[in-house]
Amino acid sequence: MKLTDFIKGRIPAYLMIALAWVLMLIFLSAFHVQAQAAVMISVLLWLGAGIAEVWEYLRKKQFYDKLLHSLNELDQKYLLPEMTGEPGFCEGKILCEVLRETDKSMCEQIGMHRRASAEFREYIELWVHEIKLPVASLQLMCHNDGNAKYAEQLKRIDDYIESVLYYARSRNAEKDYLIKPVPLKRVFADTAIRNREELQQRGISLSTDNLDTEVMTDAKWLGFIFGQLMNNSMKYGADEITVTAEDTHEATVLRFRDNGIGIPESDLPYIFEKSFTGENGRTHSKSTGMGLYIIRQLCAKLGHSITAESVQGEYTEIVITFGKNDLFDVR
Amino acid sequence: MKRILIIEDDTVLRDELTILLQNTGYEVTALTQYQDILNRMLTAQADLILLDINLPETNGETLLLEFRKQNDTPVIMLTSRTAEIDELLSMSFGADDFITKPYNPTILLLRISAVLKRTAKTGTAQMYHDAEVSTVKGSITRNGAEQVMTKNEMIIFQLLLDRQGEIVTRDALMTALWDNDEFINDNALSVNISRLRGKLAELGFPDAIETRKKQGYVLK
Repeated sequence: MKLTDFIKGRIPAYLMIALAWVLMLIFLSAFHVQAQAAVMISVLLWLGAGIAEVWEYLRKKQFYDKLLHSLNELDQKYLLPEMTGEPGFCEGKILCEVLRETDKSMCEQIGMHRRASAEFREYIELWVHEIKLPVASLQLMCHNDGNAKYAEQLKRIDDYIESVLYYARSRNAEKDYLIKPVPLKRVFADTAIRNREELQQRGISLSTDNLDTEVMTDAKWLGFIFGQLMNNSMKYGADEITVTAEDTHEATVLRFRDNGIGIPESDLPYIFEKSFTGENGRTHSKSTGMGLYIIRQLCAKLGHSITAESVQGEYTEIVITFGKNDLFDVR
Repeated sequence: MKRILIIEDDTVLRDELTILLQNTGYEVTALTQYQDILNRMLTAQADLILLDINLPETNGETLLLEFRKQNDTPVIMLTSRTAEIDELLSMSFGADDFITKPYNPTILLLRISAVLKRTAKTGTAQMYHDAEVSTVKGSITRNGAEQVMTKNEMIIFQLLLDRQGEIVTRDALMTALWDNDEFINDNALSVNISRLRGKLAELGFPDAIETRKKQGYVLK
């Protein structure tokens, strides 16, 4: 709170005092009061008013400065009312009351949406579990009847179901992952087996290097991430997928590289954005623009960083960095 | 013949699972009533139990915990729950494996046979006719003559040997190889099998591996 701002706000009051003083001087002279007495009374009047103003200024300055300071310091601004003590003056009390009421109302609103979104997510989870039963039955039927044709479509259905599930999980504010040391090789092999038929049909060869390492992550989420990346490689004309890991002191860097059609340079900065389909999405197989978006959300929740490099017509490389201290960073 | 007990409340899934396991050569019992499951599990004398997590009126994890206090028959949990925490919980309650639905049937069979093998009395060297098979050394020895196998050849031979006399599909062989991080393609599998045949022939087992058109291979 600046002194000049305070004074500006008080100008009407000062004018009133000045007016009163002028009127008083007129009365005093009308009653023929001695000049010395008039000076004395004026000094006392201005002194009293001055002291009251200084006190008022200091009191307000202290309160508002503290308020603004807390506001700046706070990471979550809505906690401000909790950090503000009750001031001794009326306006401050009103302000505090207003803040508290607004805050309460906002909390109620947020609570309502949070409950609604949690309910929705619970239902999605439940629905996913339910729909997996008929899919599982159908998959067994295909195998028992020796009909591989349907199995392919079932695999696609299952992939779409998984993507809904992980979308719901990635949007969720709660922590529903479990971070522990996960062997990269195992997770990659599981994903590879799941996609084996399609990979072989398309004549895609897989090679891995240096995956004998453990990273701190959620194995299921990582499996989903690998699956999505593999699907992308298959969709965009790769015939070689190479997955390598590199261990440094602070992090494990995983490179998922394919020799598919690549990503145009102009599209590259946007590929992780929601619903972005880009040139490849238009000209090649249909794309929802959700896959990489969900992956980035999952990585963000797990505390991994993810980036992409590509040269059109040559390769696409997705780089995931698993920090060794991620355990302490995850929110 | 190994006996497998299936505890799964989805009727269609249970029936298909029964067919799959019977076709593979297991003896299958499937529960159709869900009262007093624990006692049925304890008295079934099964070699392996497939246990669903979501069951009417109870929960597979609780059942497993109770069951493990009295019995150590291998249990594989089958579930449509896909969170890491479910798996961790089941494993800590004493499950031998955890498979999420929908499962690739060949992977399921692979996991079942892996669990059965792990819990079987091991220690005695595996024999193929009068030849000694050593997975540790990766070799087969007969009358002092030793053939060293590559990793891939050993995985293939092992699977064929486990199901000696039965048809093993290329699909199953492929899955087993991929499960061991050997992401080979169709041609490479054929090459590996013909090399394996060559090595077996040198040991004095010509025509040990028979090809069944469109079905797979049989180790005689």
